[in-house]
Amino acid sequence: MKISKFTKGVAAIALVGASIALAACGGAKQTVKVGVLVADASGEEALGFKNYLQRYVAKEYNYEFVYSPAIASAEQAKSQAETFIGQNCKAIIDMADKNRGDLAKLCNDSKVYFAIGSGMMSDGDFAASKKLDYFVGQIGPDMQTEYETGLAMGKYYKEVKNVDNIGVYGAFIPNPMHLYRMAGLLTGLDDTYKGQSGQNIVFTVFGDDAQFDAANIAGDVEIDYCAGFDGEGAIFGTVGGIIAKGPDAFLSVGMTTTFFADMLDEAHVEYSDIDSFTTQNGNHMKTGSLKYLSGKYSSSLGPIFAAIKSAIDGKAIRNNGEAFSLSQGYWTAKSSAEFEKFQSADSVNNPIFNKTLLDTLVGASFDTFKAAVELDRTPQ
Amino acid sequence: MEQVVENKKSGFDKYKIKKLIITLLPLLALILLFVAYIVILNINDYNVMMNLKTLLNQSLILVLVATGAIFIFTLGQFDISLGANALFSAVVGTLAYKATGSIALLFIVCIAVAVACSLLNALIASVFHLPMFVTTIAMLSVLTALATFLIQSKGSASGTSYSITLPAELVDKLAPLDTVAFKIVLLIVFMALMVFIFNFTKIGRKQKFLGGNERCAKLTGISISLFGIIAFALAGLGVGLGSSMTVVYAHTVSTTTASSIGMSVFIAIVFGGMPINGGARSRIYSALIGGFSYNIMTNILFILFQSMQGVRDGLVQVISGVFFLVIVFVASINYRSKNLPR
Amino acid sequence: MEAINRQSKAKEIGKKALGIFTIPLLVIAAVLIVCLSSGQMILTTDVSFYGFTRYTAVVFLTTIALSINLSSGRFDFSIGSLSTLSSVIAAKITYAMLSGSGASAPVMLLISIIVGAALGALSGTLYVALKLPPIITSLGVTLIFEGIIYMISGGRYITTETSNSSMVFFRENWWIHLIIIALALGIIYLVFDRSKFGFNYKALRAGQNISVNTGIKEIPNAIICYAICGALMGTVGFLQVLPGNQIATSVLNFGSIGIMFVAFLPMFIGGYIGKYTNDKIGYLIAAICISLLSSMFALFNAKTITASVQSIVTAVLLVGFLIFLNNEQTCKDLVNGTLIKRLIKQYKEKKNRGESDDKPQE
Repeated sequence: MKISKFTKGVAAIALVGASIALAACGGAKQTVKVGVLVADASGEEALGFKNYLQRYVAKEYNYEFVYSPAIASAEQAKSQAETFIGQNCKAIIDMADKNRGDLAKLCNDSKVYFAIGSGMMSDGDFAASKKLDYFVGQIGPDMQTEYETGLAMGKYYKEVKNVDNIGVYGAFIPNPMHLYRMAGLLTGLDDTYKGQSGQNIVFTVFGDDAQFDAANIAGDVEIDYCAGFDGEGAIFGTVGGIIAKGPDAFLSVGMTTTFFADMLDEAHVEYSDIDSFTTQNGNHMKTGSLKYLSGKYSSSLGPIFAAIKSAIDGKAIRNNGEAFSLSQGYWTAKSSAEFEKFQSADSVNNPIFNKTLLDTLVGASFDTFKAAVELDRTPQ
Repeated sequence: MEQVVENKKSGFDKYKIKKLIITLLPLLALILLFVAYIVILNINDYNVMMNLKTLLNQSLILVLVATGAIFIFTLGQFDISLGANALFSAVVGTLAYKATGSIALLFIVCIAVAVACSLLNALIASVFHLPMFVTTIAMLSVLTALATFLIQSKGSASGTSYSITLPAELVDKLAPLDTVAFKIVLLIVFMALMVFIFNFTKIGRKQKFLGGNERCAKLTGISISLFGIIAFALAGLGVGLGSSMTVVYAHTVSTTTASSIGMSVFIAIVFGGMPINGGARSRIYSALIGGFSYNIMTNILFILFQSMQGVRDGLVQVISGVFFLVIVFVASINYRSKNLPR
Repeated sequence: MEAINRQSKAKEIGKKALGIFTIPLLVIAAVLIVCLSSGQMILTTDVSFYGFTRYTAVVFLTTIALSINLSSGRFDFSIGSLSTLSSVIAAKITYAMLSGSGASAPVMLLISIIVGAALGALSGTLYVALKLPPIITSLGVTLIFEGIIYMISGGRYITTETSNSSMVFFRENWWIHLIIIALALGIIYLVFDRSKFGFNYKALRAGQNISVNTGIKEIPNAIICYAICGALMGTVGFLQVLPGNQIATSVLNFGSIGIMFVAFLPMFIGGYIGKYTNDKIGYLIAAICISLLSSMFALFNAKTITASVQSIVTAVLLVGFLIFLNNEQTCKDLVNGTLIKRLIKQYKEKKNRGESDDKPQE
């Protein structure tokens, strides 16, 4: 029997539709659902956090962590947050950094808990949001921590490595996080920016309409600077040019291990970065030229989960009735052995913030919680 | 003889019914998808009203922009700079609103800038006899660059991008507009206006004529330049409304605002049954049907594949692409040419 | 008589030379002026030179790939996603076979070309099977290819499979890029200008109905065009890996279509130059011009010439050149000083005929 094209087409649609309808009949799970907003679902740091949440915390606590697609704009973030709310998520963890103040208010109006993991709101947004009942709080490196991380890197290379001329990658300056790291780095190297050092560098740059001009850097250590990423190849040429001059080291305030690691390994130029403790970075440290890495460890997200769970269980952790803002520092590895020690200290199967520790934080007092978060847990 | 007439009659009816089904297929698909969506939401015990509200928010801006763009597509033209236009007009509108606190000015500036940019496209192409599509490609770069320049100079760094964010008091003023009721009213009023212009005025009729057979239309005295300009102006109206509602919804503009609108417009109108070459078969409601259908479909797929988070986003897009081709194939089944289409 | 013939021949050669070399000479002059006034010069280091040759190859191949289908009325959004998918698949297969050792780069290049051709043929087959306007088919194909890229890679940068000394060798040796350009130019010239397939292609391009009615098989011709496009974009996909030894795979929601816009300006410039010589050579000259401009932009830091400024410059050049192309006679009259006279003459003629003022849009 000859079947017309039309009939075939309609049958195709009906078949696919029926399959989907059947597949939908899965029924709801009885777990607590938490939505996670991410700007980058695929970076090594993001994957580390994802593994910790989905492969450890979810199993131990019968929670379900639903990740958003990569969020590129504020309207996408809001739309995704609404989607999570519509899917009965009890809480949302934000790591996308798109208009957090708005999201906190949205979640509060919808009676869904909102927390910021591994990052911070702007001071203005936090001041406006901290009284919201459903805003749990934020944990991440604050700007002081970012500055100190850069400072430690600069001091190490100045005092221990005695560098005279270096390449520097500014990542996405004037992103405040990267700018504070850069201010610390320059200060640690005993260089100045427009005659300023310390955090005054940041204020100077913001005073210049957030324009960072490397020509304003002065000091004993000569710096060949570049920043940004265009994805087209021009930045690789710029960095290649810096590498070709044979600097003593290539220091970075972020993203170098993602973009330029292979170029630097190939040229045997020592480099540093602020990133995360991933297998890839471990390989660069073992066989490549990565010699200094500051990073977050994956289970550093544990405390924000504990705070969310406390809130959901009705035992919210508040700082004098308001949302908390706590700082967590970085670990710094200066050798492959140190890196491996850090990596094995915090794995998916044996994280630093394991169930035993997390259970002590759920429902704890603010002071106990604060002490646990801010404790230096660098493996010795 | 009577048997022959009867056979002819039933054959004629069958053809008519088939043609009707094909014409209504996009609408039928929307209804089917909507029902499936409600069923899936209920099975999973999700908040149906909240999800429908989210759907409206996801689709509104796309439908506003795409409906205006129908006038361009009816002429058989393309405009790939709609997203960049929406971004640029949103930036200028936000700056105007920040400076004055006037909501009316936000809307007026967004619409005026969007219409001006659209008209610039049409004028450049018309005066210099340029291919329209390539002109819009150039405009895409220029508008994106201008918007980026404004955001970087007037905004602040946030994450890895810049943005201009409205202060809290101005956000609160926008609250009555960021509601389901207002959005539905806006959509109804805008659609009514567009349907009226497209189906009940000479503008719509002449544009369909131009899109169907430009030479014949010109010989009957229809001015190609004039109706091209009108089409772009109406598209600018849709873009302006879309960009102002983006500001109302998100309260911030960044370099990635409205980034996916440009291509999503194509998807929405074709998914809604609009012939890509325009002409008499153009339907003003294609964007409405296509925009909602496409978003419902992707929402359903995201729910179904939620557990496959490693590959979910890619899988959803693959299935969306396949569905898109199947739907469009079936909807245009009666309009096949002997040779390959160009 | 001979003298007259020699004179007219010389005139013709002069006209051709003018047509071929005007634009590149203008570009070189502009680049020199900008560089000298800023005290910097392009292409003075190895890094900048092999960056230049690589980018020339990318622009050249993309322009040919775009023009093959576009000049037949087939707009294809999927070339960007096709190039990325080819390189992703090639990287995975090569790493599985060689684990990054030995001749990984040439093997990856070869596989990328083959996979690209296959994906292109698939795209073409979909087009002929569905008989939808090619722009619509390309939208669906782009969604599908981008989705597959994401499913293979999880949206992560592919680095392990592409980080090896072989890739570095290919990046840092500019003669390899020149060989790729020369091979592509030669093969495309032979296929499209010296083969039966090419003649059929041109016939179909010029008059679809007549060509089909005379017995030219349109369907295999279209599929082969898509396959050749795919092979070229597979090569581009490989070349795009070279700068950072990595593949960015987070390209959902039409994130891959950007590369297509890079090819528009060189395509029009190449088409213009091609009037005086072969169009493929025109595309190559145009690609060199674009690459020179890009090298010039790369000299200046982000503060002086931002990416936005570069975009605007490229867009203005595109529109400006199109205005020239579509109003060539008017431009010539403007230069000769006969424009006003001609416009007055045209106006009088129209007034006498009582015709409408409209000119059809192209």
